[in-house]
Amino acid sequence: MCFKNLPIAFDEQGNAYLKEGLADPYEHKIVDLGEEQEVLKGLLERNGFIRNIDYDPVTRVAGALAFHSVVDLEKRKVLSTNSMATLFRGYEVILKGRDPRDAAYISSRACGVCGGVHATTAALAIEMALGIKPPPLGIVMRNILLAIEYLYDHPLHLFLLAGPDYSEELVRETNPELLDKAANTKAKNKDVHGYDTILDIMKDLNPLKGKLYLEALSMTRVAREAYVLIGGKYPHPQSVVPGGLSVTVNITVLNEVYSRLIKFFDYSQKVTGIWDDVFDFFLESNPEYAKCGIRPATMMDTGVWDRPEHYDASFENCDKWGEARWSTPGVLVDGEVVTTKLTELNAGIEEFVEHSYYEKWDGHRFKEDANGMPLSPNHPWNKETIPKPGKQSWKDRYSWDTAPTWDRMPMEAGAYTRMYLTAKAQKAPASRFLENTGSSMKIHVPKHYLPEKTLEWKIPEHWNAFERNRARAYCIPYSAMVAMENWLLAMDLIKNGETKVSVPYEIPKKGTHIGFGAWGAGRGFLTHHLIVENGVIDNYQIITPSTLNAAPRTPWGEMGPYEEAVLNTPILEKFDNPEDYKGIDILRAIRSFDPCMPCTTHIMAKDTDHMVTREVTTCACGVE
Amino acid sequence: MGSSKNVLIGTVGYHLLRNHSVGPILLPQLQSTLDGGSVVVEEMNWGPIAIVQYFQTLKKPFDRVIFLVAIERPERNIGDISVYQWLGHLPSEKQIQACVGDAATGVISVENLLVIGEHFKIWPEEVFLVDVEPGAEQAGEYLSAEVEAKIPEILRILEKLSQENYIVLETKKLRGDTLFEENV
Repeated sequence: MCFKNLPIAFDEQGNAYLKEGLADPYEHKIVDLGEEQEVLKGLLERNGFIRNIDYDPVTRVAGALAFHSVVDLEKRKVLSTNSMATLFRGYEVILKGRDPRDAAYISSRACGVCGGVHATTAALAIEMALGIKPPPLGIVMRNILLAIEYLYDHPLHLFLLAGPDYSEELVRETNPELLDKAANTKAKNKDVHGYDTILDIMKDLNPLKGKLYLEALSMTRVAREAYVLIGGKYPHPQSVVPGGLSVTVNITVLNEVYSRLIKFFDYSQKVTGIWDDVFDFFLESNPEYAKCGIRPATMMDTGVWDRPEHYDASFENCDKWGEARWSTPGVLVDGEVVTTKLTELNAGIEEFVEHSYYEKWDGHRFKEDANGMPLSPNHPWNKETIPKPGKQSWKDRYSWDTAPTWDRMPMEAGAYTRMYLTAKAQKAPASRFLENTGSSMKIHVPKHYLPEKTLEWKIPEHWNAFERNRARAYCIPYSAMVAMENWLLAMDLIKNGETKVSVPYEIPKKGTHIGFGAWGAGRGFLTHHLIVENGVIDNYQIITPSTLNAAPRTPWGEMGPYEEAVLNTPILEKFDNPEDYKGIDILRAIRSFDPCMPCTTHIMAKDTDHMVTREVTTCACGVE
Repeated sequence: MGSSKNVLIGTVGYHLLRNHSVGPILLPQLQSTLDGGSVVVEEMNWGPIAIVQYFQTLKKPFDRVIFLVAIERPERNIGDISVYQWLGHLPSEKQIQACVGDAATGVISVENLLVIGEHFKIWPEEVFLVDVEPGAEQAGEYLSAEVEAKIPEILRILEKLSQENYIVLETKKLRGDTLFEENV
């Protein structure tokens, strides 16, 4: 039984039911966060320092996330953390009352990077709600399109955004003691990346001029070129529609895609070799780095990449077609798989707004799903988005993000979750390129200029900032090989004359139709929950990876993933005076999640009036 | 229009933000009236990195680039139009990296575009901003009456700037860390 906290049980036939005898089955504890703040205040008072700090975000261009923490620089410990989404974006409100066909185009704009996955997730939600099954080539090409989107996203994160945190320039400023050691440490993977020492790699990670930085920029171009061949344009594709794709696919298009895809074969070997070397170096140099951003591997993912012979879009069969995906949906609790069924993943989701700038909604319209699985009043199909701007208070409301949970647990999301779940669950299909062992994923990368090689990502003992990024590096070959597998399928389909990429459909003018789209963004979990009522959207709810990761505390006081990961992070940076403190360890912790919002990070140093403000920027989506 | 110079008129700005979206709103009109011959009118919201890569592949580079934007500035009334010339001064590398961070992830900002373009050396000598004062940010599809009334003037300025021997308008200088005026 996968649920330990929600009142859902299963009978002997595996049918879910609501536990009986509970007066309010979905009640939950509400903790007064004021007590925690009082403790913190008392601690600061005893040290003689109380500071009233204005924590309004101070972002350079378009701040949407701020992160506040109080650190004790003497004990090198983080005392308190708060993650705040500072911007209401309103896509859920904008979509209400519109034609469902608008959803793919409008929701795509929720992000400046992962527009394709929002569009696809919207298409999937409509397909489920209205019973639309795309043709095989439409499914396969959608898989390729989205795998390519990840191939744009992963290098961007690894080298342009997170990479500089491990560059020679940054390390010289924050931990110069590591540089001599880096100069004398031989790189283990020189055969694939060509660097002799770790310092050589670090130098080319330097922002703006490092060769690895510039190479990643050029690789994003390669991926984008392949993407627009299918999507029409980037980042908001024009061809993603419910029922498939609105693009002509032929051998020429596939060859053009292949000529770009193949460039990621060698690049995969290089990138995984680079980051294995860099992260192994850090962790071997100081084992305390293993605590940077550490939290339990409690994560969830929707799975991605449908198989044409299984996907029928229906809710009824979603457990089957979900488990058939090349990446397995499900939930991990402390590293253990608790479910791989999309119905259970869906039923376990709730969103709480006790510490968010929203009003609680009334009603419990959908008490169970189409299979009879109980649904909470806090489930997205029952949720209503009612913005309620207000004063920021750590004790009360402090974020435009909600607190989503699964089975009442805050959940982390990431591209790495996709890999972790798939490797662990061993439910993904047999593949000529991928092999899941239960403790690792083996990725057989064909030869290009480099000889073929089997790369192996191993489930790590500790889930921390370094391992998030390492797994992200392995997501490049993972995505490339799924794209390759689907490319071969597409070639077969075209050779067999199956060239149809979409099916026609109509929006019913009457009745209630519900569905949810479950697909992963470049940075993980993404769901769109949709209710169509008499031909228009009656409710639309989006949960992005950063909705999960940047969540404020739950009503019962559990921290969101950023908050927890930063609280567990030791301060390993070297500095003589508090004024010199840069906060690199905290930044590495936050950045490892690839926060899906331009983020301003405030770090207040206890016993000083020093406030560190840093930008942590990735794509501009994440809040509703 | 009789220009032998290759001119790009680009619009930069988010959609659906009323006066802040003056570029996207006027784009169809600009394309129908100014695009043609040696003048290209294009939306330039598709990411500074991609734009850098686009410029790097141009067989015949642009000789002049003009951006239509709306940036809130002090001491201007809604609808006031300023013409700036980009001086090409770059902020610190940290600031440039912050711009890349924003840009690579979809934030639309002419500042990012100018700074990143300058860093990668794609800009010609002549880069202008036609900058309309939008006032406070508001959501909506339409321009306010004040900006609506300035459309003929905006078009006139863009047309003049796109001509080879344009009449020298009063231009102000601009630098890259805040997009505020340079004291020169």
